[in-house]
Amino acid sequence: MSIETMPPCQAACPIHTDVRGYVAAIARGDIQSAINIIREVNPFPSVCGRICTRACETACRRGQVDEPIAIASLKRFAADQTKDLRPGVRPGPYYNDTVVIIGGGPSGLTAAHDLALLGYRVTVFESQRELGGMLSRGIPEYRLPRSVVKADIDYILSLGVEVRTGMALGRNFTLDELLKDYQAVFLALGSERSLFPKCKGVELPGIITAVEFLKQVSEGLRPYPGNKVVVVGGGHTAIDAARTCIRLGSKDVTIIYRRTPEEMPAGKEEAEEAHHEGIKFIYQAAPVEFLGKGKVEKVRCVKMEFADKKASRRSKLVPVENSEFEVKTDAVILAIGYEPKKDILEDTGVFAGKGGRILIKDETGATNIKGVFAGGDVVSGPYSVVHAIASGKKAADSIHRYLRNLPPKEIAEPEVIRPIDEKIVNLIVKSLRPKMNMLPVEERIRGFDEVSRGFTRDQALAEAQRCLNCGSGAVISDECVACFNCVLVCPYGVPVAGEEKAKIDISQCQACGICAAECPASAIDVKLEPKIASSKKLEGAIEAAKMQKTEGFTIGFYCQYHPSEVLSSTATGDYLVGKPCMARIDVAQLIRPFEEGSKGVEIRKCDYEACRFKGCEEWIDKHVHRAKKILEEIGIDAERLKIIYEKKEK
Amino acid sequence: MIVAEMKPLSEIKEMIEPYEKVLVLGCGSCVTVCLTGGRRQVELLASALRATKKAEGREITIGERTIPRQCEPKFVDQIKEDASRYDVILSMACGIGVQGIVDRLRKPPVLPAMNTTFLGMADEGGNFHEVCLACGNCLLAFTGGICPVARCAKSLVNGPCGGSRGGLCEASKDNPCVWQLIYNRLKELDMLHLLKEMSHKRKWPVHPQKMIKEDPVIKKEQTKGA
Repeated sequence: MSIETMPPCQAACPIHTDVRGYVAAIARGDIQSAINIIREVNPFPSVCGRICTRACETACRRGQVDEPIAIASLKRFAADQTKDLRPGVRPGPYYNDTVVIIGGGPSGLTAAHDLALLGYRVTVFESQRELGGMLSRGIPEYRLPRSVVKADIDYILSLGVEVRTGMALGRNFTLDELLKDYQAVFLALGSERSLFPKCKGVELPGIITAVEFLKQVSEGLRPYPGNKVVVVGGGHTAIDAARTCIRLGSKDVTIIYRRTPEEMPAGKEEAEEAHHEGIKFIYQAAPVEFLGKGKVEKVRCVKMEFADKKASRRSKLVPVENSEFEVKTDAVILAIGYEPKKDILEDTGVFAGKGGRILIKDETGATNIKGVFAGGDVVSGPYSVVHAIASGKKAADSIHRYLRNLPPKEIAEPEVIRPIDEKIVNLIVKSLRPKMNMLPVEERIRGFDEVSRGFTRDQALAEAQRCLNCGSGAVISDECVACFNCVLVCPYGVPVAGEEKAKIDISQCQACGICAAECPASAIDVKLEPKIASSKKLEGAIEAAKMQKTEGFTIGFYCQYHPSEVLSSTATGDYLVGKPCMARIDVAQLIRPFEEGSKGVEIRKCDYEACRFKGCEEWIDKHVHRAKKILEEIGIDAERLKIIYEKKEK
Repeated sequence: MIVAEMKPLSEIKEMIEPYEKVLVLGCGSCVTVCLTGGRRQVELLASALRATKKAEGREITIGERTIPRQCEPKFVDQIKEDASRYDVILSMACGIGVQGIVDRLRKPPVLPAMNTTFLGMADEGGNFHEVCLACGNCLLAFTGGICPVARCAKSLVNGPCGGSRGGLCEASKDNPCVWQLIYNRLKELDMLHLLKEMSHKRKWPVHPQKMIKEDPVIKKEQTKGA
């Protein structure tokens, strides 16, 4: 087992965000470090913090115990807390090459961001008046406020990216013209043309596509769709359109989806929110005809079933015989899918395949024309924002390699940390996500205010502290003398006796640090807080205390997993050293402040019931007892070392 | 394995009283395994000594180092230069380790921080038990692999005394009577007859004993051209 294996959250993320890293930073209240870690790979933290499809949360090992970490919400918290942050130093440009990006959606803007940081001059052409692509036009404000999209885009533009809006390929310029002035082109055209169901009456007035409908709303228009509305589809757009109708005054909104609730591409939470707002769902049904005189009045539907009844998810569907039924309606919104606008690519010479998607040659995203790259939805078809970002990052890297004549990037599949063994799962103290504040339903449906209000600081810290820090646990060095004390002390039974030395499976270690504190050879270190970092913290606190408190000082240790302690750490007059778990404080650390003349040492022990680590209290007591004994023997009043109990308010 | 435990801190304090520069020297073998003299204990003892000096208002230099085995001259030689900077070495090894240093280093003086207690082994819970006295004439073949010399309070080699009660030793109710253990084991193995064949003549050797390598050390010069 390599100690460099990736936590499942990071492996699942299309851009391999160091989730563990930023969640740990939030857990210790260091929001600045958290946003820096996020921004290393993601120029859209505020956006992803709200609407990411969150493959990381599905992969999260905390899900084996109770609920996965609310990773996206923590990202949102970090981004919201630092929204005025701007890059410290504006980069370059270092190179004379100029790159043009066609399409100002998440993929294009990510490529612009990365290329600007690499030192290129970048120009973005956007056909609409506003940047953001589907983020600005396709997602309603109650889920993704425009100000949030703007905040992320402003950060990108502050890197010195040039933008020309209202400039469309084919209408205002041609690809040939661009290739004369620019050394590389990235086509990030998106995929915004709605698909229509093949049924009679689809041309009737009163039937509108969700894209067109949401775009109107995003432009500030407030069309009244009608009292009764039928939305066809089961994706995010279908739910967005339905919830938007409610906000525009429609009283009776029904979503018709041809598959089962479990198969719906929109998330379960979104469907629940829609349900709370009064939206009805008809599952396993599809429209066959739209009826009406002069405008749509009824939708004729048919029940759907699996062609092969034993088949699993996403197998072929067939209509159920004699199952037709009609739904009365004033309007129909179609949200059954999108494809790229095919006509844009005519006359460009760029090869496109089925449904107008651009064909790329290989992993680099290169098209059939030299110097022209493509990515985002125009290549993949409609996908998630984080996939668009991933595609933009890949394009930026490929363009850099193309322009600098560098070899292609070698991509190694990460080795992923294994799931937690069942017997260890049972030993982990359970705790649930804090409930995020939501706008009450009656207020929500009156307007477009953001529904989820985000975590408070306390909530974010508490949630981040639920992270199991997968793979940040104990590592044994060659100094191991095979005494197997670690095997005896581990509360989870992770260390085992190997043929020559002790072995600790990093995928199972819970990073409580007890073995490290007890190892007689000091051969164990914990990656979550290595010995060097821990010692630096303590020495720093002692140094500061000696400088500032000439009349004498006290050193306090507090648990970093206790949110209120993190808050009060700067408020008290004492010098406090945070520890990821109090059981990790070894006896030498308790004695160390006395070497420097500390008046006392205090351990702020948090409520055991709230502690995430099993059996920590026993170890804290043991370490304090041993330290007191030593103090007594050397003639220092043992009462100067105190445990201060703090019961956490429930 | 050799088991040793740290002397009371008051005794150690008194020993190092005359010195200004003390090197606390750990041993990475037996005493690390029995949790008393390894790197972590060195750190702790050094810290405690600094704290006590600070409390007395005295600043002294206390260095920390741990070598894999203090009874190995090649390891001791490696600390020669470092050791010369100190007034005294406070060894956290067993008595062998202390003498290992003395044997190689003319200066500085070496003090024992430990009391060497016994030759023992760990049980499942990590506690250590005396099981061998290094008597020089092993009789384990006759006693089912259980040593009465080390494990009987009286080192009796010809069966239990009258103080064996319900399988326990009269000297300490925490200890089993080793002769009961030997009997049980041999009975289980159907080898009780061995007790009749046993005769233990304990050696009373002239100290110090030696073990001289049978093969002479081949000098490098001799191997040249061979």
